[in-house]
Amino acid sequence: MSTLSQLALLLVGAALVNNILLTRFIALCSFFGISDNMQTSVGMSLAVIFVMMMASTATWIAYYGMLKPLGVGEFLYIPAFILVIAALVQFVEMYLRKYSPGLYRAMGIYLPLITTNCAVLAAATEAVKPGFFKMNMAYNFTLGENLIYTLGVSVGYGFALLSFTALRERLDIAPVPRALKGAPMAFIAAGLLSIGYIGLGSLFGL
Amino acid sequence: MKEFFKVLRNGLSLENPLTVLMIGLCSTLAVSTKFEGSLFMGIAVIFVLVMSNVLISAIRKFTPDEVRIPIFIVVIASFVTIVDLVLKGYFPSVYSFLGVWIPLIVVNCIVLGRAEAYAYHNGVVHSIADGIGMGLGYTIIIAGLAAFRELFGSGKLSFLGNTLVNFGAGYRGPNILLLFPGAFILFGLVIAGSHALNRRTARKEAV
Repeated sequence: MSTLSQLALLLVGAALVNNILLTRFIALCSFFGISDNMQTSVGMSLAVIFVMMMASTATWIAYYGMLKPLGVGEFLYIPAFILVIAALVQFVEMYLRKYSPGLYRAMGIYLPLITTNCAVLAAATEAVKPGFFKMNMAYNFTLGENLIYTLGVSVGYGFALLSFTALRERLDIAPVPRALKGAPMAFIAAGLLSIGYIGLGSLFGL
Repeated sequence: MKEFFKVLRNGLSLENPLTVLMIGLCSTLAVSTKFEGSLFMGIAVIFVLVMSNVLISAIRKFTPDEVRIPIFIVVIASFVTIVDLVLKGYFPSVYSFLGVWIPLIVVNCIVLGRAEAYAYHNGVVHSIADGIGMGLGYTIIIAGLAAFRELFGSGKLSFLGNTLVNFGAGYRGPNILLLFPGAFILFGLVIAGSHALNRRTARKEAV
């Protein structure tokens, strides 16, 4: 049983304190890959929030509805989850292209890329596997807790991505030493941003 | 045979997945707080990379082009499951340290990337070389980063319960090395160094 305050704590904890990009390093490929352009970052963030909510619901149902009753959850969850996510992304893409062309264009090529975005698989796994998400909460989430948790994770992803993109656009015109120009400087900037997120951790006492 | 070593060396330096291609970064930064854990992570990635390269390259002639990505993913996921269960059974402490990063090898861009870019177009023997080279390139960077962070961050280096190096109780290391920002900043410097090195090699070869 979870009270409302526990759910709120879960949301804030997943979004800010345990921010998936800056304090747990999940999905860094996309973080560094697309963060040099504000427009693509917005598209990617929206697509991630959208797909993650659907994917983690689907994998939760697949795990508790099928894998666990059949007793194969322990060793089939990796292939099962990745297939569920891949198939779901494909269906979402087909549906959007037919019924909502505007949204489809906004998300563009990021939809298929999300299949290999670690964040989706990580959130799906953490909702059902013990000990991966280290907070003062039971690990086996109910469907509702799972939704709140995923919302927190994906909003945290978007928040960190947008703030870092803004930082990087400014960094392009900043005078940095020649050896550090480009990727090295981006990493150092991300490091400084991540110091800020550590501060948030002590703020909520988690 | 000469070709074999050329492919192998490519992964180590010129096409190093981490510092040059910049893929598979997530696990590198997250896991590299402990030397022991990251060494096992490297071994796990080498195993998955070599085995999936071999299998994908062996079946490349009759893999339909349209569904190749799902096939790759299922192949990779099977080998990751083997690693997952072996680590859980024989090295529980390493398993709990690596946590979610073991299943995440499935979506590690290095493994899928090499399957798509190399194993799908080349023979089995060369794919083995590519897998070993890329895997070693990954392992060296991640283990080196972890050794540095653990040694100077906490003052001692341990491996499977044995302490290899100990600076003594009086050592106060910079704590930031063990925290998340330390990983970002240190890795930024590593990339800067390796780019400078590659630039120098390129200049030398041009002369």
